[in-house]
Amino acid sequence: MIISVENLVKKYNGYTALDGLNFTVEDGDIFGFLGPNGAGKTTTIRILTAMIKADSGNVLVDGHDVVKEPLAVKRIINALPESNGYYEWMTAYEYLEFFSNLYEEKASKQDIHKLLEVVGLHGKEGHLIRSYSRGMKQRLGIARALINRPKLLFLDEPTNGLDPKGRRDIHDLLIDLNQKHSTTIFLSTHLLDDVERLCNRIAIINYGKIVRTGELDRIKGKGTIEDIFFMSTKEGAL
Amino acid sequence: MKTAYIMQKEIKESILTPKGFLWYNLTSVILSVLSYLFLTNSELSLLDQGEMLYMIMNFITALGVLIGLVFGADSFAGEIERGTIEALFLSPANKTEITMGKLGAALTNWGIIFIISLPYLFVVGKGGQNLLTGIAYLAILGTLLVITFSAFSMGLSARIKSMKNSLIISFFIFLLAGSPIFLSAAQRKTWFGNILDLINPFADAINTFDSVVIDSQGFSYQIGRVAIICGYTFLSLWFLKRSASRLEM
Amino acid sequence: MNYSPVFAASRITVSINPPSIQANMGDKITYTGTITNNSDKAVNNIIAYISLANVTRGKESPMDLEDWSANKAIKVDTIPPRGTYEGKWPMRLIDSGSYVAYIMVVDKNDNIPVSSAMSRLEIKRVLRLNPNNVLPVALGEPILLGIVFIFIYFRRKRVK
Repeated sequence: MIISVENLVKKYNGYTALDGLNFTVEDGDIFGFLGPNGAGKTTTIRILTAMIKADSGNVLVDGHDVVKEPLAVKRIINALPESNGYYEWMTAYEYLEFFSNLYEEKASKQDIHKLLEVVGLHGKEGHLIRSYSRGMKQRLGIARALINRPKLLFLDEPTNGLDPKGRRDIHDLLIDLNQKHSTTIFLSTHLLDDVERLCNRIAIINYGKIVRTGELDRIKGKGTIEDIFFMSTKEGAL
Repeated sequence: MKTAYIMQKEIKESILTPKGFLWYNLTSVILSVLSYLFLTNSELSLLDQGEMLYMIMNFITALGVLIGLVFGADSFAGEIERGTIEALFLSPANKTEITMGKLGAALTNWGIIFIISLPYLFVVGKGGQNLLTGIAYLAILGTLLVITFSAFSMGLSARIKSMKNSLIISFFIFLLAGSPIFLSAAQRKTWFGNILDLINPFADAINTFDSVVIDSQGFSYQIGRVAIICGYTFLSLWFLKRSASRLEM
Repeated sequence: MNYSPVFAASRITVSINPPSIQANMGDKITYTGTITNNSDKAVNNIIAYISLANVTRGKESPMDLEDWSANKAIKVDTIPPRGTYEGKWPMRLIDSGSYVAYIMVVDKNDNIPVSSAMSRLEIKRVLRLNPNNVLPVALGEPILLGIVFIFIYFRRKRVK
């Protein structure tokens, strides 16, 4: 088990964002985390990545408590937040080099070039990020999230802003990472097509609670993922 | 080591980009105009060497503090608004390392302003007494003031998370710190003016420059004011540490 | 124009020297005031002070001597009968123009103050283009930093 979440609670100024969340993620999963806007997806990811602290509950990432051992967690995970900004005055190479330097195991020059090639930015490493399209920035963000060869990768809407080919390229990359490098992927997305194509297990969150979790095929049964999603998140579904 | 990388990134952003370097160009142009005016203008040129040096030192300190405030206001709030802070928080660099890296860059900014100012100080103060002592005091007190105001501005930036608002408050603090300048000479000699002068770190620095450069007074005369400035520096750093440690997305 | 000395009904007379000065801005000069006790009794505790008036056409005004002179007023404890006292008023010439300087003496036992004649003072403006060798720094440093700025700008532009 790479993620274990027990009774997670988080409140903001009296508003309960997470209301006793419980779920697990197994090693090697591509785990889909679905829910409507404001359900608590981003808050959950921020707690799991040790960026914010929960009010109560236990969260273990690869056996490390995110509150007591945030550094140990950050060494083995990485993430691409939904609204990821960039140092636009840097080149893509400088950007990846900067983040690589913050880890103990720094990526070599060749590693950085290889990474840029993998995300489809080969030949653009010397260009200022300011000149990048939205899709190119998204690819760069994924490259940054892979800079430390994470064991666990959190992606919040990773195919945002990508055209169909771009989306397919990212899908192939994630599948490759998962199958060849055993990277566990925690994918938060609205795009149910992406979930269908990529994920083996999912959890659906609504009003800060998990409403469904388990193997995707088992949850779908004979229906579609859309049916399950809308059924699980309609008013009164809890 | 992570602090050094973050500091390097901040320095590159604020110095080695055209937008960042413009500050230094403007600094040198203003200092050129000021020093030329001081030395050639009919009335100003008849001031004592010491008085000219004192006035340029005040200006350099004010400029360093102002740039530090602007830099500080952008430090956390700017990154939050540009969406770049999450990636930084995701890395193994902890908040102390990130904060120290940013503060180090603020100090580097001041260091460059100080180096740019040196030729002007030598030219204006040439032939006058206390030039080297004055420069030494400027280096030390200027650095302490820049740390004080930058750290405070950074702490505000981390708490308010809005660059515009933290910049407005920082400017207000700057005006408050500079308020003794707006009092007349007579008002400054009243009990109110004296207290305002004493508790104000900026005024303490200016009065120290006056005492050292114009009145040629030794360190024993400056101990009280220097101690107050150091106190403010520690207070600001404490405020920054607390503010940064509480910063959450 | 003639300036007649003022002889008041007073025991004291005062004169100023030199009667006229031509100098440059920034020069240091000294006026000497000679105070004479014309009576048979000593005069005590008299005050003598120097005044300056700007008579440049269009700028006529009394001058505040704060920057010009540190000791504008002198107190004289006593001048013996038929005795004299010589006071010195050093001055730094701050601004150019045409001025008149005169010394006033006040004896509280008299009804009116006593003035010396006016001494004409012509101060010439001196044009200093490169004092303290400021120009190489004032011009050189912005140019140097400008070159660095251009270098950084084009380096980033090339990267783009």
